[in-house]
Amino acid sequence: MGSTAGGCLCGAVRYTLARAPAEMDVCHCGMCRKHTGGLALGLMVPRDEVTWEGFEHVGLFRSSDWAERGFCRTCGSGLFYRTLGDGPGSDMISLGAGSLDDLDGVRLTTEIFVDFQPDGYAFAGDLKRMTQAEVEAAFGSEEDSA
Amino acid sequence: MTDDVRDRTGGCYCGAVRFTARDVPLTFGICHCETCRRWTGSALLGVTVPADNITWEGEDHIARHQSSSFAERAWCSTCGSNLFFRFTGGGAPVGGVELPVGVLDDASDMVVHNEIFIDHKPDAYAFVPNDRQVLTRAQCAEKFPLLDRG
Repeated sequence: MGSTAGGCLCGAVRYTLARAPAEMDVCHCGMCRKHTGGLALGLMVPRDEVTWEGFEHVGLFRSSDWAERGFCRTCGSGLFYRTLGDGPGSDMISLGAGSLDDLDGVRLTTEIFVDFQPDGYAFAGDLKRMTQAEVEAAFGSEEDSA
Repeated sequence: MTDDVRDRTGGCYCGAVRFTARDVPLTFGICHCETCRRWTGSALLGVTVPADNITWEGEDHIARHQSSSFAERAWCSTCGSNLFFRFTGGGAPVGGVELPVGVLDDASDMVVHNEIFIDHKPDAYAFVPNDRQVLTRAQCAEKFPLLDRG
């Protein structure tokens, strides 16, 4: 089974999960590619299933009107993306998949914002692929949550 | 042509750190080592540029961490965007930096030419193969013995 523990590369920030994740997604939007340096792999888990240690080392950056991104202020590891307020997805958090200690048992299943995907690489497998419009239709546009 | 280079601009998500870089290659690599995996949350998609080719603005917003005996990693202290990986010594080829392709304003024409530490990549995902060079950790250590010295 996949791991239920994770954290940044220097160890200042750690977390434990109530359940081992089984799926991850990738977001190809320009904001995610800019912030991560190119590849935004996310583990979407319920916020109340994450227990943090060392959260005082987390830097928070409000990356848009509807979301913030968390990173370790000691080593710069990208840790999570989460929406602000009570809108769609407010009970979830997207953890950077690379922060999980062991990704055995996890599979990439979904690609979102595929209309912004660069041509230089592609993921193998029979993945669910969603454009921006399809994502907003499925989950609600962030503008709706104001 | 893998020798093709062009000048590019870039910066972090919030704009506090900006740079211009001369002669940036069109090709980049993917590193799956654990340090890159945790730092990026995924894998490092990096293009190698001589450090002297880069002119930075907003350097007081650049935070650094010595992530191993031979390299440091840097990010924007305001927004957290990963900025570069840089060899610092210990037998490593000092002088170059790896820029994550996401920091570039435009990387739309760039292509992958190698993928390293492939044996450390999680099975959770894979890239579609192309003619890129794929190397295990051991194969990388043949080129860079410093890896085995930690």
